[in-house]
Amino acid sequence: MLLWTRRVTQGLFLLLFLFLFLQTESKGADQLGYPAKLFLDFDPLLALATLLSGRTLVAGFAFSLILVAITALLGRVFCGWACPLGTLHNLVGAMKRWKGLQRVRGWFRAKYLLLIFLLSGSVVGIQLTGIFDPLSLLVRHLALGPYPALNYAVNGLMDTVYRTDQRTLTQVADGLFGLLKKTVLAFQQPHFTQGALLTALLVAILLLNLSERRFWCRYLCPLGAMLGLIGRWALLKREVAEGCNACGACDRECQGGLKTATWSATECLYCMACDDACPKKTVSFGFSRKPSSESLDLGRRKVLLAGGAGLASVAVSRATPAFDPNRANPGLIRPPGARPEPEFLARCVKCGECMKVCTTNALQPTLLEAGAEGIWSPILVPAKGYCEFKCTLCGQVCPTGAIRVLTPAEKAEWRIGTAMFDRGRCLPHAHATPCIVCEEVCPTPTKAIWFEEVVVKDRSGQDVKVKQPHVDLKLCIGCGICETKCPISDRPAVYVTSIGETRSKKNQLLLENPSGYGA
Amino acid sequence: MDRRDFLKHTAGTVGSLAAVNVLSPMLLAAPAARPDLAVVHGASPEKIVRAAVDALGGIRRFIAKGDVVVIKPNIGWDRRPEQAANTNPEVVGTLVKLCFEAGAGKVKVFDRPCNDPRRCYVQSGIEAAAKAAGAEVSHIDDRKFREVKIPKGVAIQSWPIYIDILEADKLINAPIAKHHGLGKLTLSLKNWMGVMGENRGRIHQRLDETLVDLATIIKPCLTVLDAVRILTAHGPQGGNLADVKRLDTIVAGTDQVAIDAYGATLFGLTGADLGYVKEGARRGLGVMDLGKLNIKKFEA
Repeated sequence: MLLWTRRVTQGLFLLLFLFLFLQTESKGADQLGYPAKLFLDFDPLLALATLLSGRTLVAGFAFSLILVAITALLGRVFCGWACPLGTLHNLVGAMKRWKGLQRVRGWFRAKYLLLIFLLSGSVVGIQLTGIFDPLSLLVRHLALGPYPALNYAVNGLMDTVYRTDQRTLTQVADGLFGLLKKTVLAFQQPHFTQGALLTALLVAILLLNLSERRFWCRYLCPLGAMLGLIGRWALLKREVAEGCNACGACDRECQGGLKTATWSATECLYCMACDDACPKKTVSFGFSRKPSSESLDLGRRKVLLAGGAGLASVAVSRATPAFDPNRANPGLIRPPGARPEPEFLARCVKCGECMKVCTTNALQPTLLEAGAEGIWSPILVPAKGYCEFKCTLCGQVCPTGAIRVLTPAEKAEWRIGTAMFDRGRCLPHAHATPCIVCEEVCPTPTKAIWFEEVVVKDRSGQDVKVKQPHVDLKLCIGCGICETKCPISDRPAVYVTSIGETRSKKNQLLLENPSGYGA
Repeated sequence: MDRRDFLKHTAGTVGSLAAVNVLSPMLLAAPAARPDLAVVHGASPEKIVRAAVDALGGIRRFIAKGDVVVIKPNIGWDRRPEQAANTNPEVVGTLVKLCFEAGAGKVKVFDRPCNDPRRCYVQSGIEAAAKAAGAEVSHIDDRKFREVKIPKGVAIQSWPIYIDILEADKLINAPIAKHHGLGKLTLSLKNWMGVMGENRGRIHQRLDETLVDLATIIKPCLTVLDAVRILTAHGPQGGNLADVKRLDTIVAGTDQVAIDAYGATLFGLTGADLGYVKEGARRGLGVMDLGKLNIKKFEA
């Protein structure tokens, strides 16, 4: 009974998570219309890390206090009953038939040391927490790996059926395709760099469950560690009544890998499998104010080491060219509303929400472009997609305010970079051939791309009148649509680099900064 | 047959013959009196669209019962109706209603936008207006382009064209009149760029010829040019309300060259100023000399 109550609850939370994940997509309106980042808002680890590294309180994280309160009262019920990654771990773990006593490696302390490492890094402004936080991790890996793959598989299958040209078959398939498009598929096939790598990492984390059930939750999860610490004095406790004959049934079922004799609130996932498993019905959960007998000894040296490593990580990460303050990275085009780079890195938890929601698939995960600590943070790749002029969805779904929500007026003037022409490739500049696509698509009300009408000669010496495009540096916002839509599609004749970006004081070009730093 | 019957019969025959003799000149004259272009001015987009179509002979002249109709508006840009970058949604909605009034079986509305299609469909108001009128509004499905030969093509000899266009019984072109950096204006002929697949930006290298090439294979039965608001500068996407002029006008007809020639006059130009109009007239696709056209201009 308790088992199924838990399973149904887990299923509902997973479905809610997946539903919000699927709604993290434009419907064409200015507002997304769904609280896509809700699970992240509830995450006290992301809240604390952002508070420490970004030195800021983010309103959305107020929800995380609810989880803190619940955990303080009831222990790690989130892990056992609600965490979508935990539920996936359960599912994968259930794929193996477990016999006899389970093997427990007992590396419980590792996750606390990881937590100390991450948070001491946050203190000095490096934000690595999101890489390991289970909710951030799940959104990111699903969005960038398996979900695009799912789309690819379905689109490919439907394509194949469509090409058979069998009317009845294609009609049935198209009906199904239409339904899938309305429900689970993306509006357009998403493409992400590192998709295979991110999928592989998620699969690897899930496969750990075949070694030990909920391996991740027992040994690695920093959110689990944090909730364990908060729930250390929880009122809800496991109790063993008289009549227990130490048959070991509970030990075999324990998701947390605990032994009856050494139950601890910090390690218990509150899945209550022991309650169900006990043949004598002596194991149960109930409220008690009796202090827990456990002690959590991490070892002073290990704690110092983890903390020290966290503090040192910032230096290790930043002694690379990516952090040379005198040279901006031309390809490091951040989304509109992104904070200045150090502050952006201090906040961004690499959850991938912005990349998932980007209407043109322009936002891609970095590898080392932003330094090691910036891995999987978003950059705009105009060759892939451009920044839609009136779209502000990336800011709307950002849980930490690394990308802030821009008003329509702010968005219209926000520069993410500047476009320039490669005259050697441009048709009217180099090849006496008319073309105006860049100007046509330029979205600023007074177009940043303007024409100079010139007469040039073609090979035979004949005069050809062409309109040669130029960029008005004062008007260009660097949205990149000119680059995305340039008919020279392999290497466009116009391209955007980060210079002139609104968020940076240093990465400027014009004497008069038209967008005004910090606007 | 007795005498009375004979007389009756004869009278009937004579009477009917007389009736035919009286009526036939009217029947013959009716097409001649029908205008080539209807130019209607008025405050209500719905009213002027209806008046223009009625002046051309009514919607039943163009749409038959059971027809699958494609109405092709311009939904190219993420702009609102008052910015005049996309066809007026009320114009599109009225056309959908008219088709159903003529008994159309299905009315499809779509475009291949330049900006994000979802935003274009929503922000333009066209998706909502067309759906409310009963149309099937869909986004472009990339699988549904078919390579089509263009036997009379000068700049392009074949191009992938959207299959719904090829399979429709009737096409209605519903462009908006606006400024364009290369073609000077974009009117009805250029609107068909929205059904071209692949890297269509390349056609700007020979825009005038390509648009006419396209018109040799895509033949709308009716064209309704929306000049409720026109965009006079920074086209085709605009964004500045100062560039928008309210004309409250509809130009309708069956000859796209004639419509574009007339459309040019709304901007103080003539058909001869537009390369694709000249090219279309030269290749016999339509008439650009407004003097040779029967233009019915009225208020509604």
